[in-house]
Amino acid sequence: MRSDSATFRISVLVRAVFVTIFVISLGYLPAPASQTVVDVYNSAAGELLQGHGKVLVLVFVRTDCPISNRYTPLLQQMEKKYAQEALFRLVFPDRNESAEKIRSYLKEYGYDLAAIRDLDHALVKKTFAKITPESAVFNAKGELVYHGRIDNLYEHIGQARSAATTHELADAIDAANKGENPRVSSANAVGCFISDLE
Amino acid sequence: MNRVRQTIAVLIVCLVLLIVGVTHTVALPAFRPQTPAENPQVTFNRDVAPIVFHYCATCHRPGESGPFPLLSYKDAKSHARQIAAVTQSRFMPPWLPEPAEFKFADELRLSDAQIAVIGRWVEQGAIEGAASDLPPKPNFIEGWQMGTPDLVVKAEKPYLLPASGTDQYWNFIFRTPVTKTRWLKGIEVRPGDKRVVHHANVLVDRMQSARLQETSPGAGFGGMEIKIESEAFDPDSHFLFWKPGTLPYSEPEGMALRIDPGSDLVLNIHLQPSGKEELIQPSLGLYFTNQPATRFPMLLQLENDRKLDIPPGEKNFLVTDDFTIPEDVELLAIYPHAHYLGKDLEAFATFPDGTKKSLIHIPSWDLNWQAVFRYASPVELPAGTVISMRYTYDNSDENVRNPNVPPKRVMGGNRASDEMAHLWLQVLPHNLPGQNFDPRRVLQEAMARHNVAKNPADFEAHYNLGAMLQARGEVDAALKEYQLALQIRPEDATANNAMAGASLASGHTEQAVKYLEVALLSRPNYFDAHYNLGTALAMQNDFAGAVAQFGAAVQLNAMDANAQANLGAALAEIGNWKDARVHLEKALAIDPNLALARENLEQVKRELPNDQRR
Repeated sequence: MRSDSATFRISVLVRAVFVTIFVISLGYLPAPASQTVVDVYNSAAGELLQGHGKVLVLVFVRTDCPISNRYTPLLQQMEKKYAQEALFRLVFPDRNESAEKIRSYLKEYGYDLAAIRDLDHALVKKTFAKITPESAVFNAKGELVYHGRIDNLYEHIGQARSAATTHELADAIDAANKGENPRVSSANAVGCFISDLE
Repeated sequence: MNRVRQTIAVLIVCLVLLIVGVTHTVALPAFRPQTPAENPQVTFNRDVAPIVFHYCATCHRPGESGPFPLLSYKDAKSHARQIAAVTQSRFMPPWLPEPAEFKFADELRLSDAQIAVIGRWVEQGAIEGAASDLPPKPNFIEGWQMGTPDLVVKAEKPYLLPASGTDQYWNFIFRTPVTKTRWLKGIEVRPGDKRVVHHANVLVDRMQSARLQETSPGAGFGGMEIKIESEAFDPDSHFLFWKPGTLPYSEPEGMALRIDPGSDLVLNIHLQPSGKEELIQPSLGLYFTNQPATRFPMLLQLENDRKLDIPPGEKNFLVTDDFTIPEDVELLAIYPHAHYLGKDLEAFATFPDGTKKSLIHIPSWDLNWQAVFRYASPVELPAGTVISMRYTYDNSDENVRNPNVPPKRVMGGNRASDEMAHLWLQVLPHNLPGQNFDPRRVLQEAMARHNVAKNPADFEAHYNLGAMLQARGEVDAALKEYQLALQIRPEDATANNAMAGASLASGHTEQAVKYLEVALLSRPNYFDAHYNLGTALAMQNDFAGAVAQFGAAVQLNAMDANAQANLGAALAEIGNWKDARVHLEKALAIDPNLALARENLEQVKRELPNDQRR
């Protein structure tokens, strides 16, 4: 299934029920003991990305990327800080990472963010993601207003600052919450390449 | 009774294990370079697997430091673009030195051709290729790499690494792991989770001096660099270093490291938060030999921390040191060390004939991958060779690792936010035929003189030179150096104790008592000073005073045979035969070879009433 617009709209109807369950479960289950990992295909991605009336933040990660792992505490803090204004989703773009592997990873790292497997890279394509960790911010209307690094902790792989000095993701969420466009709409991420679909 | 107790204070920076490098028993497939023209289509099985298995899989396998395994096509395919990018940038495999004439053992450096092969493989779609082309998987030893250790010691208390934040440095003390003198030929460090431990150093703390830094026994303590005291003429001699991917290494015949019952092993580790809390509780596997050391290497340190005063914004701050080797040595290994502002680290040798050769050159210093580099074969450095250290530092905001934002003035020091300019060399002095002295003393004295010349205001330089001179019997010259040291730090306990030792040796007992009183005022629990004061008072025939001082000494270390013997002798002098006997017997139980104690005991027994003799 390709993400041309026609196919896209039709599929949304088919997958709508599934997606709805997903959103409800996330909304009403506080920090489930065993976390739900939702598989998203092109169609469901469309549903996910349509405006929720609030800001949507996607963060691409993989279980074996040390750089995205290092961001766990920050992402958890941000999710709590923006709980009222923004939905946070972790997106796992590598098909080799099974739902079971992801669940045990979430438990190991103490994540209570909802997780999605982006099985045919619909979200990767929509957000131009290339790297983990990389973030994307959609405004309340469902428009992509920022994609790129979380902050500038890393300059290159292996070259980290002692602390980040710019905070692109937080700035983008703040702007989107005010209905504005962020000052920076994209910034190159540093981390692990998202592998191509096989 | 006039044996003088003395220590030499040496600032140790991450000293290291006798053990670096890769064992020769691990069967890694040899890398066979492919000529690109022959094989326009690059496949994993034929072209990439030999590189990945040889250079990557040592760390990239389960339980090791690499974040993911690289043992199959599937593993590599899933990270294909990553592998191309990090090899292209030479971030992986981690290998800091530039290629040079003197090769290092186990160089982990890819050739440009190898990097190009990986790049083309990814460009062409990262295909697998024919199954028949795949080399056998590397065969790694499970568990302890040199077989079951003779002794395994585990840290008493774990360290909890926080989930986030900056790099952490922690020190674990393994208390006196041996009950008799042993000769150590290898250590395997199991640092805990290898994914978060960047590197580790083991230091032999013969004076138990690191314990002073623990808030409670066994608690361990934080800190990037630690200072330990070492015995004046048993200088540190081995690098005891661990970094991810190094397999333990057995010391060459005759170069084992002595470990005594009173020695602690201190493990200094550098950790990087992983995103979740980690409990780190390292173990050390010790491998002994029955062969005592017959060849004694020594660690030489070039440094110039005093010259480290780097203004904010400075991109190329140069620090140098040059040391002339006073006798023929073999250079076995080298360990450059700087912190986060270090940029270009270079050391070279200028030979007596004027030729200049690089010993190591690291053009992009990265503290995270610091290591001890052992030469593939020893480098001969004849007497008169000048070793030069040339380090540059970047304190601008272009250096992303700069711990200060915005940059600020940075000085030399032990904290991660301070800087360091150290170069350690492991050298083996040649034992010349007919030479009746330890050739390390020549090196030590030259080093001490060099340090005094470099830093006339350096307390430790004067102190250490004084200790060398005293050991050579040049008491007057030693007194002069100690005096210079005491002008810099008048209340220093160690220097006052040394001054007293030299005074005792030259017959100035009253002066000795004065210095020892100052030493004990500064450090009331100073075993050596109590012992020496006991000796001084005994020389003045103040045996009651001597009993009090030797008594304090045995309170601090009941296992010191000489202190027990002297306490016994002093008690005998004041007619306390019964207690005298107890302490003389204790002395002989610890060291049956103390002839004087045995004589004294016989005499005490004769003085005791008949019924108490048995």
